[in-house]
Amino acid sequence: MKYSCKGIRAGSQSASDQRVQQWNSLPPTKAIRLAVIGLAGCCLLAGPGSALAQFSEGASPALADFSAPDCSLNAGLLQISDQNPANAQPQGAPRSEGKDQTQNQTPPSNHEPSLKDLGFPTDLTKGNAQEQARLDRRSHMLQVHQRLGLIAVAPMLASLITSSGAKGHHGAPGSPGGRELHAILGAATGDLYFTSAYYAIRAPKIPGTHVEGPIRLHKALAWIHGPGMILTPILGAIAYSQESKGERVHGIAKYHSDVAWVTALAYGGAILSVSIKF
Amino acid sequence: MKSKFLLALLWLAFSSPAPPDSQWVLGQSSLSYHVTHPLHQIDGVSHGARGKGTCHAGECDFLIAAPVKSFDSGDSNRDLHMLQVTRGGDFPMVVVRTKFPEVEISSPSLHVDLEIQFAGQTVHYKQVSFQLVTQGKDIRITGTIPATVSDFKIDPPKLLTIPIKNEIPVKVDMTWDPL
Repeated sequence: MKYSCKGIRAGSQSASDQRVQQWNSLPPTKAIRLAVIGLAGCCLLAGPGSALAQFSEGASPALADFSAPDCSLNAGLLQISDQNPANAQPQGAPRSEGKDQTQNQTPPSNHEPSLKDLGFPTDLTKGNAQEQARLDRRSHMLQVHQRLGLIAVAPMLASLITSSGAKGHHGAPGSPGGRELHAILGAATGDLYFTSAYYAIRAPKIPGTHVEGPIRLHKALAWIHGPGMILTPILGAIAYSQESKGERVHGIAKYHSDVAWVTALAYGGAILSVSIKF
Repeated sequence: MKSKFLLALLWLAFSSPAPPDSQWVLGQSSLSYHVTHPLHQIDGVSHGARGKGTCHAGECDFLIAAPVKSFDSGDSNRDLHMLQVTRGGDFPMVVVRTKFPEVEISSPSLHVDLEIQFAGQTVHYKQVSFQLVTQGKDIRITGTIPATVSDFKIDPPKLLTIPIKNEIPVKVDMTWDPL
């Protein structure tokens, strides 16, 4: 719906040229008075004009075609000199939105607040496929980490159980079969553990994330079971070698069992930290 | 005389503005979802919602929106996973729209139909009840939206291979200030 003074604009180019000449020939005070009168009259018609103009949906063509006058402050002057249809815009036109007028005629969507009204930054409201892809990849990798980490519990527990058969009792060395089994279970634990750790370490980081909650303890415990999982097989290999030679386990290798237990406890704690609420 | 006439004309022209619509803006708010898992009871809370309401011709339109990433469950790892399963990267906002008769603003309870856009889905909840308490000029609205994971086609997150319960009720506590 256009809000322009079509009535005032109507006329041929030559007629308007004459008006411009007449206008220019007027004394300044008279010109101002005429402009003010034009402006006042124009604005007086604005209310009902707008009311009729907003009747367009389903109204009679006669009403729908009505255009309210342009009541911008400089409209009175512009109407004479400016014939460019592109300027027939409702610049600053006060739209009467009286109760009666808007109750039935204004589409409700005009009054519904939009997301833009809430003033959120656009980067916050706009979807970001890259961010979603990063989140998907992160979740996928951490799910693999979780799965492999849980699977690793089984050979780890089995390693702890078979450890007595590997080292023997009361100074007597363990059986070679017991040592082999313990070593195989330990190696399987290590493989699963480091594969699981790889997925946790390589999972994409989400920028701007402040780490909080039980995940902090989960990560802190990794500083215990991580080195433990490196040290335990090394000490185990030394102990295996010593036992295989018929020697008693001595030197640093005698701490293999202690390191393994601390590692296992830290590992169990890391799993529980993200599993049970405390 | 002429100037008085002109002034009168101008006064007539400018003295009939439209009566202003009543408008409301969301002041304080707390939206919290509750997740139930055999090992956990989780509440994710957001205070980052913004909202606007306009009442016109006897009907009110309210809009509330919150960034999905503004929900905090106290565990950043869980929040990021929540963001992933709810496709918060693609659809970063939770948007709630509702309409109700203006007269209900002064009543102690409100039963409204809600349209919720979340996780790329638009879900309608019929006749959700809220309690209204007038606090001076402000209005405090509290209630619970009976949302479920399946409503929004979200693959239920699992912990130790056990999925969460389907029900994720969202508690709403909002204070609206008139503009």
